[in-house]
Amino acid sequence: MTHRWGMAVDLDRCTGCEACVTACRTENNIRIAGPEQSARGRAIAWIRVERYYEGDFPDVRVKFRPVMCQQCDAAPCEPVCPTYASHHTDEGLNAQVYNRCIGTRYCANACPYSVRFFNFGNPVWDRPLELPLNPDVSVREVGVVEKCTFCVQRINAGKEQAKAENRELQDGEIKPACVQSCPASALVFGDLNDAESEVSRLSRSSRGTKLLEDLGTLPKVTYLQRQF
Amino acid sequence: MEGATMKAIYGLYSDPDSAQHAVESLRRAGVADDSISVLASQPYEEYEFSHRYKQTWLFWIAAGGGALGLWLGLGLAYLTETRWPLVTGGMPIFAWWPNIIIMFELTMLGAIIATVVSLLAMTELPTIRSKVYDPEVSQGKILVAVENPADGEISTLERTLKGSGITEVKRFT
Amino acid sequence: MKTLARCPRSLTSSASSDMDLATERKINEDLLRPLRQTSVWFFLLIAGLGIIVLAGVGSWMYQVWNGLAVAGIRWPVFWAFYITNFVFWIGISHAGTLISAILRLVNATWRRPVTRCAEVITVFALMIGAMFPIIHLGRPWLFFWLIPYPSERQIWPNLRSPLAWDFFAISTYLTGSTLFLLLPLIPDFALLRDQMRGWRKRIYAVLALGWQGTTKQWHRLEAAMQIMAIAIVPVAVSVHTIVSFDFSMSSVPMWHSTVFGPYFVAGAIFSGIAALILAMAVLRKALHLEEYLHPVHFQNLGKLLLMMSLLWGYFTFAERLTTWYGNNSAEMAVFWETQTGAYSPLFWTMVFCNFVIPFPLLAIRRLRTITGTVIASSLIVVGMWLERFLIIVPSLATKHLPYAWGAYRPQPVEIMITVATFAAMVLLYALFAKAVPIISIWELKVGGHAQPVLTPEEQEEQRELWKARP
Repeated sequence: MTHRWGMAVDLDRCTGCEACVTACRTENNIRIAGPEQSARGRAIAWIRVERYYEGDFPDVRVKFRPVMCQQCDAAPCEPVCPTYASHHTDEGLNAQVYNRCIGTRYCANACPYSVRFFNFGNPVWDRPLELPLNPDVSVREVGVVEKCTFCVQRINAGKEQAKAENRELQDGEIKPACVQSCPASALVFGDLNDAESEVSRLSRSSRGTKLLEDLGTLPKVTYLQRQF
Repeated sequence: MEGATMKAIYGLYSDPDSAQHAVESLRRAGVADDSISVLASQPYEEYEFSHRYKQTWLFWIAAGGGALGLWLGLGLAYLTETRWPLVTGGMPIFAWWPNIIIMFELTMLGAIIATVVSLLAMTELPTIRSKVYDPEVSQGKILVAVENPADGEISTLERTLKGSGITEVKRFT
Repeated sequence: MKTLARCPRSLTSSASSDMDLATERKINEDLLRPLRQTSVWFFLLIAGLGIIVLAGVGSWMYQVWNGLAVAGIRWPVFWAFYITNFVFWIGISHAGTLISAILRLVNATWRRPVTRCAEVITVFALMIGAMFPIIHLGRPWLFFWLIPYPSERQIWPNLRSPLAWDFFAISTYLTGSTLFLLLPLIPDFALLRDQMRGWRKRIYAVLALGWQGTTKQWHRLEAAMQIMAIAIVPVAVSVHTIVSFDFSMSSVPMWHSTVFGPYFVAGAIFSGIAALILAMAVLRKALHLEEYLHPVHFQNLGKLLLMMSLLWGYFTFAERLTTWYGNNSAEMAVFWETQTGAYSPLFWTMVFCNFVIPFPLLAIRRLRTITGTVIASSLIVVGMWLERFLIIVPSLATKHLPYAWGAYRPQPVEIMITVATFAAMVLLYALFAKAVPIISIWELKVGGHAQPVLTPEEQEEQRELWKARP
């Protein structure tokens, strides 16, 4: 049976530590913008932790919300790409094909979650920071759009491993970098087509909501509302 | 006069009324309509000499070109979208809504290009052989010519042309 | 009492018989003088504009080399100056179509001296506008992937994307309007072939394609022009509608509006007529065409401009009322940004430039002079550029998730390229007016326009006479 990859984010557990952001950056060869370019809005963070403050001191509450590509089933970023760089795969992922991208940035504008990022310049890593680059992930050149892929390289590696060993994939076997690194286990990844997987159960939770649900994008990330 | 084959004999008239008179005189003298050419710097719609050759297939050709463009647009959309079906945004692979735009644009392009190409073909532009012309036409004179006149008729034609108010009749070789 | 210059065609004494050879020669001389005589100011103008254009090209090369980091765009405002310019110039290109095609179809004779001025604006504005989708690309050297051709990658453009629609629409419109300009040029090239000397005579002879002016040729040409006029109007409407679809096909707040199609087309015609009035006023002064471009032309165009200003105001009001009443939180964030927030100075400047000041200038007959329409047009051109900017940038800066909001500041590269396109437009126009008569000579002669058109006072006189003898 084909897989349908999804995620669940438990907002009760998220502490806003941003380990997921760091892990994602390392895993996916995300370029460093530097302080000046970041101030000008060129920083790339495939997953980001949004921080919202509520109330006045001393009754301030801080809410953390990790936002990554929602891999929408009715993605508004897909039909607008003139070169098919953004399209939907059989497994429900929104694929971004860097080689086809000519950098119109229409997809980045159309995405309501603002999870698409543009390479404003060629990536530069000062020595020796090029050594920990992940060989499984391509380095994007200037002028292409990139975004979270649910660590598709890990998904493919997991599927190949299971096939080589002639067995089914286990739930929890594939973990994107953010899921793997979260110390509070706030992020869960798995197959939504498997009714028994943890992510499927969490997506049916009474605390479950989707981000910007009324836009009709059919996102596959379920946010479990904070109760405390 | 002798020796060189004359392509046309013509007179230059200062106003369209005399040109009309000249055309009618030539007709009365027995010259076929096909041999009479009237050249002017404006269309002169109000005069009868402008109303020959009014029938034209051009509108039908334009419509045909539009139909061709429509089919090209439909073909392009259908073939390219179904050849490598990529799902985008949950939309169907081949849907009428977005493809109608492509079909419309190619329809109009087909009509426009068919019109221009047919225009050039019908008016035989650009020409390679030299055709009867006189630069005085662009200064406002109207040229009434008889093309390929038979040698024996030349003096009759000269008289006819001069009878409408000009003193000099020219030849085009 | 002057004889009426425009007689209906059914009368036996036609308008063109009023024109004798002397008048016809005078028209030829007057309208060919700019081609024959060149003053030093012309060369200075070309040199100055050329420098600015070269600076713009250099800026773009700098941007291609260094990447879009040198521009001001950022997350989440990924479209700004370049797309503003794109929409603006495509909008300006609607001038020619309206004036030439629609007025030709309704047999408005006052259009005759104005058609070529307008058609030239269309062609050059389209060429300039079509550059911007390439300029703003992240990888502009791959722009040709938008062209549907069988590539070795075995993939075709995504025909569901509004950008693919843009490609088809702009190509069709550019082809159509270039041909619409070139077809009636053929008889004028023939005139130039006869009147000019030397190397220019040879070039014009080639361009004239051997045109003689036979009755068959005139008929076919006029039939072709009729077909082109009928065809080019829906194409023009579709082009700017499709450009508006670039915005309305996404869920960005205040972009996803069904009114965008008509809104953009109305705005395009609005800015196009303003540009045309400016071009005509400059040509009238620079080329001494006072006898051919009369105040009544500016008055008629001014009335059209007034109508478009009202239409623009109506659309803007309807769109904003619907947004305000709907009270959708994402849309209201954008709404308040433009009404009272960071973009409000630009917004209210736009309203003043597009509506508040032009309205009295164009509505009151005594103010609707050449000077009045030129002032109104200049303000409108500025106002419409601001309108494009205010559609694009505030919405992108204030999208759905507040954490993702950002502010945009233009950088020198973008400003330089914008200025360079205005210089390029003037440069191309000046070069064209030097090579080709800017008023369509044969069309002018057909209209019997050698005599001055009646002023409003004289028209009043005629009206009284017609009332006395119905």
